[in-house]
Parts: sequence; structure tokens; C-alpha cells
Amino acid sequence: MHRPSLLRVDHLVKHYGDVLAVDDISFSVPTGEVFTLLGPNGAGKTTTLEILEGLREADAGEIEAFGRRVRRIDRVTKERMGVLLQEGNFEPYLRVKEVLRLFASFFRAPRSPDDVLREIALEEKANALVKTLSGGQRQRLAIGVALINDPELVFLDEPTTGLDPQARRNIWSVVAGLTASGKTVILTTHYMEEAEALSQTVSIMDHGKMIAQGAPRELTARLGQETIVEFAAGDSAGEAEQALTTCCRAVRLDGGVISIETDDLVATMRRLLDWSRETGVPLAEMAVRQPNLEDVFLALTGRRLRD
Amino acid sequence: MAVRSIARAYIITSLRERITLFWFLAFPLLLLVLLTFVFGNVGNSVRTSFDVTLVNFDDGRDARAAAALAGAMATLAATEDGTAPLFVLHLPPVDADRSAFLVSELNELRVGRRAVVVEIPLGLSASVDAAARGAASATLAVEIHKSGGRTGSDMAASIVEHVVAGVDRSLLVQYGLFDESRTLRVERLELGAGARTFRYVDFLLPGILLMGFFTGGLFGVPGTLLFGRERRILRGYWVTPLDVPHYLAGFALGHLGLCAIQFACVWGVARFALGADVPLWRPLVLAALLFAAMTFLAIGFLVAAVARTANGGMALANVVNMPMMFLGGLFFPIGQLPGALRAVMLANPVTYLADLLRGLTGTAAPVLPVAASVGVPLAWIVVCALVAARRLQWDVSR
Amino acid sequence: MTAFRALLRAEAAVLRRDRASLVFTFLFPLLFILIFGAMMSSVGSTESTRLGVVVLDGADRDVLDRVFAGSVAEIRHLASRAELEAAIDRRDVDFGAIWDGVTLGFAFDVRRTQDNFVFDELADGLAAQMDLALQGRSPLLASTVRIAGGEPDASWLTLVVPGILAFSVLSAGLFAIAGHLTSMKQRRLLDRFVVTPMRPTTLLAAIVVVRLVVVAVSTLMTLAVATTLFRIRYDVSWVRYVAFLISATLGTMGMGAVFTLLVRQPSSAGNLANIVSILMMFTSGIYFPVEIMPPFLRGLSRAMPLTYMADAMRYATGVMDMQDSDFWLICGAFLLLGLALLPGLARYIVRPLRR
Repeated sequence: MHRPSLLRVDHLVKHYGDVLAVDDISFSVPTGEVFTLLGPNGAGKTTTLEILEGLREADAGEIEAFGRRVRRIDRVTKERMGVLLQEGNFEPYLRVKEVLRLFASFFRAPRSPDDVLREIALEEKANALVKTLSGGQRQRLAIGVALINDPELVFLDEPTTGLDPQARRNIWSVVAGLTASGKTVILTTHYMEEAEALSQTVSIMDHGKMIAQGAPRELTARLGQETIVEFAAGDSAGEAEQALTTCCRAVRLDGGVISIETDDLVATMRRLLDWSRETGVPLAEMAVRQPNLEDVFLALTGRRLRD
Repeated sequence: MAVRSIARAYIITSLRERITLFWFLAFPLLLLVLLTFVFGNVGNSVRTSFDVTLVNFDDGRDARAAAALAGAMATLAATEDGTAPLFVLHLPPVDADRSAFLVSELNELRVGRRAVVVEIPLGLSASVDAAARGAASATLAVEIHKSGGRTGSDMAASIVEHVVAGVDRSLLVQYGLFDESRTLRVERLELGAGARTFRYVDFLLPGILLMGFFTGGLFGVPGTLLFGRERRILRGYWVTPLDVPHYLAGFALGHLGLCAIQFACVWGVARFALGADVPLWRPLVLAALLFAAMTFLAIGFLVAAVARTANGGMALANVVNMPMMFLGGLFFPIGQLPGALRAVMLANPVTYLADLLRGLTGTAAPVLPVAASVGVPLAWIVVCALVAARRLQWDVSR
Repeated sequence: MTAFRALLRAEAAVLRRDRASLVFTFLFPLLFILIFGAMMSSVGSTESTRLGVVVLDGADRDVLDRVFAGSVAEIRHLASRAELEAAIDRRDVDFGAIWDGVTLGFAFDVRRTQDNFVFDELADGLAAQMDLALQGRSPLLASTVRIAGGEPDASWLTLVVPGILAFSVLSAGLFAIAGHLTSMKQRRLLDRFVVTPMRPTTLLAAIVVVRLVVVAVSTLMTLAVATTLFRIRYDVSWVRYVAFLISATLGTMGMGAVFTLLVRQPSSAGNLANIVSILMMFTSGIYFPVEIMPPFLRGLSRAMPLTYMADAMRYATGVMDMQDSDFWLICGAFLLLGLALLPGLARYIVRPLRR
């Protein structure tokens, strides 16, 4: 199934002085999907997003939004998109409903603030001052503001950073609801489980470059059909790594944890158990799992997403 | 629609924030009331009492002048209708050593426990008698001791001088040297306010209004813009179709609305609580007020454009605030200022706006030509607008 | 001791680099004194008053000239009442006198409410002298005013300077806590300190020492400027000056601590301190004397710590006398206030930020 794209980016470049923040990236966002930019802090996700939100202008490259080619995101484009900013703050001394009304006034065809209020489940806080809201409530308000114009394209810049697990799951269900109602979502995050759970397409960024792109399954599948076996080796991690390299492929040591990639789980397990019995090293906290985006990033860059 | 809602949001957030509310409304009102209470009383009888010591060394039987003065002093120390008397009189105890008492009272004066010590020297009355007979002019005088560095002492000393002058006049009459029926007629002519009575609050009100507009523009504008920028509030606007010109229009409208609210409150308190009578509700006066509000709005934009951070902007506003306010003749008439300060005063738009407003309301004769009073603030508006257009950043930069 | 030295260095560096607070602490008092000094030396005093005089035809001009001579800075003779009114309106003269041989009229611009009480007083004196002179008399009973202790009469500016010094001590102490420390709390800098073995009292000691140096330097600078520019003589008692600076700095830091501990949000403490210090500035007899205030304001000023600070500073700089024991009582009270609140402040540093 191939759907037309609401947003396309070709060879986008952005410098900050000598630093190359965005280094020649290209992608297109399929309509009705959640498109995720994944990468560690400083990878260039936010800069890319800021360019697409119209906060910054690219040094080079082309943007095609809603079928129009633009140098910079303009008002016409903004009418059709909604944005959740990373540190999106509101006047502390405005009431929730007033904030929604204020932003509604910026659009030609806004939705009714009451509807939005119901949607973000803040009806009972309609008359509360922004400064009295909790972190989760504030984030819901920010989402409501992003949806006030019933946008076709929604930008969510790290929507769950700093939220507790409960609030995070709430946001996830909001995002799922967005695609269910046919909206297209561009998301940035540095939580790989968030990217895996929410997105149809993931774009992995590092040092301003796009290093991989595809559906989460596709990306992990590219690592091969391996399964990963992990255990904590504690003090004897060093010798364990050496000993196991002789018997298994792709042994990695990271912070006392040995991880072994294998395409023959049964044989590897047997060898491990034998080794453990011979050396007396217990296989503490042993786990067998499928590779995830974190492993993809690790394989591509040799580093973890979050250090 | 967007312009109106931006203006509305600006006004209501300003009114809801307690600290803004204080500086914007409470502070001008407080200053108005305080200064009216303090300076509105100057020259009128001050309801206060002074601790006054009287040591009379000249209390012989024929000491007419000394007795008259002591009597006059005692009158001021008498209580009528239960209120505190003007003087609380301290006299030497009977049979006490008066010289020693004087020494100890002078010490009390030095440390601030007496406002004034009055000493009537021995032989004062005789010397007055001699002068009255035309033998010679009086050789002795009443000694009024005051303490340096205390205003209360100054005030009490000046009251005692008046008492002495009054006693002198009655002595002259008693000696038959002065014909009371030929007393000089003295008249007081009041110029400058037409038929109305003019009070300190009338002088103060235009100054307070301008001060309110001035601090509002100087602090409110960069505060809202720079903190809005730093807290990413503005950024939230720029990702919508709202553009800078519309935001600016809404912002300016909101600011002028706030100034109107402030104007109404200050005027209301001055008019109904303090009895001010200044013709503010005239088209020309209102136009001048609008002009002033716009000038200060522009200066606020200049500060916002020059400052890199919100805190820097506030600091800058604080630094220019005082010289501009005090060197603009808002509260004190500007006398002959020395060179550099005079230059600051002449470049200061507050000077011109104050002169313009006082002239139009008849609260002071204008001393500057109208062309300058309009031209100089206008030049400020143009310069500020140009600088702001070139330098003001609307979003956080990296 | 090394933690103390490091904190001291850090505190000093922060202050040095924070241009805004440098301007406040050092330039503000200077600026105040420059402006007020220049302004007040020319306002409402007899020495600069210009009097316009109109003598109508047939009136005795000699008496008037004799009485008026030397009473004001300048006497300008004008031809008619209309001319006098125009001159007053233009402020070519400050007030006027019209003498027709029977009535002596004084004309004032009522809009000059601030100056008129001085002019009124002058006019009263002139009228009384004229009254006697017309009947060929001079006063029988005279009075002389002396200043007890023999110091020269302190001018308004002489008294204002120590007041401004007291105010700058107040703001230095107040904002060191309600402003500086609270902002460290807000920005979570204190949390960073608290996770180390640093003792909160060490940080407080460093803040106290830095503020003391600042206060000493800024007050001395201001005093030096006032002395050189306006030729005000101060007879400073250095022991008392130093004692006052130490106790007042600690005491006002204690006041800052009270505000800080009272409010919920760290940023509110700074705002509160700001408002309170402005209130104190106007009600503590710094710029205008307590004596001319209505009774309820006089009562208020007696409750303001700044009133006592200003008096103590005037005493220490030798422009106003007071009972020596009272001075030490004031110092002791401030010192006690400061020391009493130090433990509270130490706990504040450790306490987690309320959300």
C-alpha cells in the first residue's frame, strides 16, 4: 500500500556556526502514519523538527508540504498543522480555557475549545490557571493546543520526556487516537520503546545524519534472524567474554552484561550452560529476547541511545 | 480576531499576576497617597508635638519681656479638647540649679530627646526696657538651641522664632511704640490656576500618571516579550499562522488598554479620595496621555531589542529607570542642573511629556516650546521603532 | 577551610560577573546622590530665590528697598502688575511683591506647591519687618538660633547621604538572601551543593563575607563622592562605622531570611523584599523627614528597621548625635536578628524545593 506524502524533505542542511546540526537528510512522511525521528540528544532531531515547524530556516534543501514546495514553512501551511513543542510553555496566569481560546483565534477554522477540552479530559480544569496544573495536565493542554485547528499533520517533539509512566501511557493513547482519526504524526523521541510502540516508520538520526529508516520490524530484522541472550557476569565479565568468544559469535560486553547474538538459540544455550558448570560462573539475570531498536542503534553506531 | 485575543490575553495575565499588579497599580496609587499625605501637609499646621525646654534665668518681678515670652510658650503647651499640645514643655524643677539643668537639657537635645531648648538670659527684660526707652538697641537676645541634623528641631526652632516675634509685637504695643491701628495690610495673590484652588495632589497627579505609564512601558514590555521568548511562549505562537505584525498590533493594543485601566484607577483615587481637580478628560489631554503611553511603549521595545536575555532586559530597565524618572521633572521641579545632568534631562522624553501634560492640564506653566514637547518624544518613537525592527529577536536563538 | 575559601571565591566571582547587581550595589547610591545633590542644591532655598517687585506710583520706595535688601538672591523691579504676573508665569521670578503705599501684596504661582512654603515663610518675614519699618521701629525682643554641640547646621543633603548608605546596606543584606540565595535554590544550584559534604553554614559564611566587603566598598565610595563633589564634611567614627556595617548586614540578611522562610516560591521572596524595601525607603525618613508626615505614617516609620539604620548611620558619620548606648543597642538588635536566623537559613539550604 503506497499513500501520498503530506511532507517531504530533500537534502536538508542546517549549520550553527561551525557545527553541522542537520547533515543532508531526506525523508518523506506517509499520510496517516506515525513517523518517528529517533536518536540520542544532540542528534539533530529537534533542529529538523524546528525547521519543519517553521521556527527555523534551513541552510539548504527542499521542503514539500501538502504538495507545495516551500522555502520556509508559511502561514498557509501552518493552518493545516499542529505542533506540540518540547518546552511548550503557556502564560502561567492564563486559565486553561483562555489558552485554548487564544490559540483558536490564530486559525481560520478552529475547533470549539469546549470540544478540545473534552478530548483532552481537562473539563474540570477549564477555569484553572496554567500555573496550577500538574506536569501531565500541562502536557494535555499542550496537546489540546496542538489540535485546536484540527490539523492534518501533527508534530510531537519529545511528548513524554519527563513524564511519569501513567502520563506517558496517556500520551501514547492520544497518539494512537490521532492516527485512528486519519492524522499524520511526526514524533521525536529518545525512548526506543516509544518509537517501537507508536510508529509505522522510524528514522534513526545520529550526528545530524539519517543512518537508517524503515518500519521498526524491518529495522530489527535487518540485524538478521538472531536472538539475543544476555546475562550479568559481574567481576568475571572480562574472562567470560574471552572464554565465550571461542564458542559463540558476536559476544559483546557492556557494563558487566554479556550479550550474545545467535541464530541457533538451542546450541548457544547448551554451550553456555556447559561453560557455566565448568567455570562456576553463575548466569545471573539471564534473559533471552528479540533485538530492538536499541540494538539497531548499537549495531550502527557502537553506542547506546541513552548514555 | 487574533489581534484582539492577544490584547485580551496580555491585559488579563498582567492583571492576574500579583507582582505585575503591584508595580502597575498598587505602586503608583501608594506613591500618590503617600506623597499627598506627606507633602500635602507641608506649610499647613502640622499635627505633631515637640519636646521643648524652657529655662528662664530672667524671672525677676519686673521682667516683663521674659514673663510675656514664658506665658506665650505656656499657651502653646496647653491642651485643648484632649488633643496633644504643640509643645510639651520641660521646665526646671523649683529650687533646682538652672545652669546645671540647662546643661543636662542641652545634652538631651543633642541626642534627640528634645526638639529645642529655649534659654532666656538674665537681664533680657531690662535690656528690652532700655531699648524701648530709646537708650540703645537691645543687647541681649533669646537663645534658641536646636540640634543639627534633625528636621523636627528645625521646625520647632522656627515656631519659637515666630512666638518671639509675636511677643515682640505685643511689647512694642504695650510700650506705646507701635500703633496697631496702622498695621500694614498684607494681601496674598494666587496666580496660575484660574479660579480653582490648587493643591499639591493637583501638581502630583500628572507626574504619577506619567510615572505609571513609564514604568509600565519600561518594565512591562521587555518583561512580557523577553520572558515570553525565553519560556517559549512566543514560540508557541509562531508555529501557528499568527505573524509578528499581528502579534505586535495585539500587544500594543493590550498595553494601551492596561495604561487606560491604570489611568482610570489613579484618576479615580486622586479625584474621589484625595480631592484632586485636574482637567484630564479633555481631548487634547487624553491625546497627550496616549502619546506618552506610546512613547514609553516604544522605549520598552528598545530595551527588549537591546537586551539578550530577560534578566538582562530587566536589569537594563532598572538602570535607565531612575535617571529618566528623576531627571524628567516628575516629582521635583528641575532647577539649574549642571552640564551632564542637564544634557540627560534635555534628551529625556519624560521631561517633554511632563511639560506637555502639565501645560495642557494647567498644573504648571509650560517652559518648553510645544514643537519640542511633541518632536522629541516623536523622535524617540521613530528611533526605538527602527532599532526594534532591526534588532528584536522573536524566538530563542542557539 | 578550603570549602569556605572556594565558596568565597565562587561567590565573589558570581557577583563580579553579574553586571546588573554590580550596577545596583555600586552605581545606584552614587547616582542617587549625584541627582539629588545637583537637584536639591538649587530648589526651594532662600539663597536662590528671585523676587519680582512692583512699586506703584506714590508709594514709599525707600522703606521697601531697605527692608527687602539682602533678603533674597535677586530682586527684580518690574513696571506693572501685568508684567509681574507674566514674569511669575515664565518663572523669571519665583514670587512677587506689589507695594502701593498702604497694602503689601505678595503674588505666588499656586502651581509651585513644593516651593511655596519657603516663599510664604519669606513673605511673612518681609511683611513683619516692613510693618515695623513703616512706623520707624525695629524689634525689641530678638532671638538667636544656635546649634547645640556646635556642629554646623546639617543640610538636607548631608542627612540624605547617610540615609542612602543605610539603604544600600539594607538592599545588600536583604537581596543576598531573598534574591541571590533563593535564585540558587530555584535553579537547583543548592541541591548540587547539598549532595556534597559541604556544610550549609560554610556557604552562608561565604555569602556574609562577600556581602560585607561589597557593603564596605560601596558605602565608602559613596561617602568619598559626597565629600569631594558636594563638600559635605563627615566626621566618621570608624569603630562605630565598622560595627554598624557588620551588624546591619547580618541583620538585614536575617530580614531577607524571614521573607524567604515565609513564602512558598523562592522567586516570591525577592519580589517581597523588593516591595518592602521600596516601602521602607519612603517611610523611614531617608528622603523626607519623619516629622513632616501625618501621625499614622510617623507611627509606621517607627516600626521600620531602616529608620533606625539611617539614624545609626547618621550618628556613625557624625552628622547627628544620639545616645551612644542607643547606637550600640541598635547594632546589637540587628546582630541578634541575623545570628538568630542563620540556623533557619541553613535548614532552608538543605530543604528540598517544594513543587
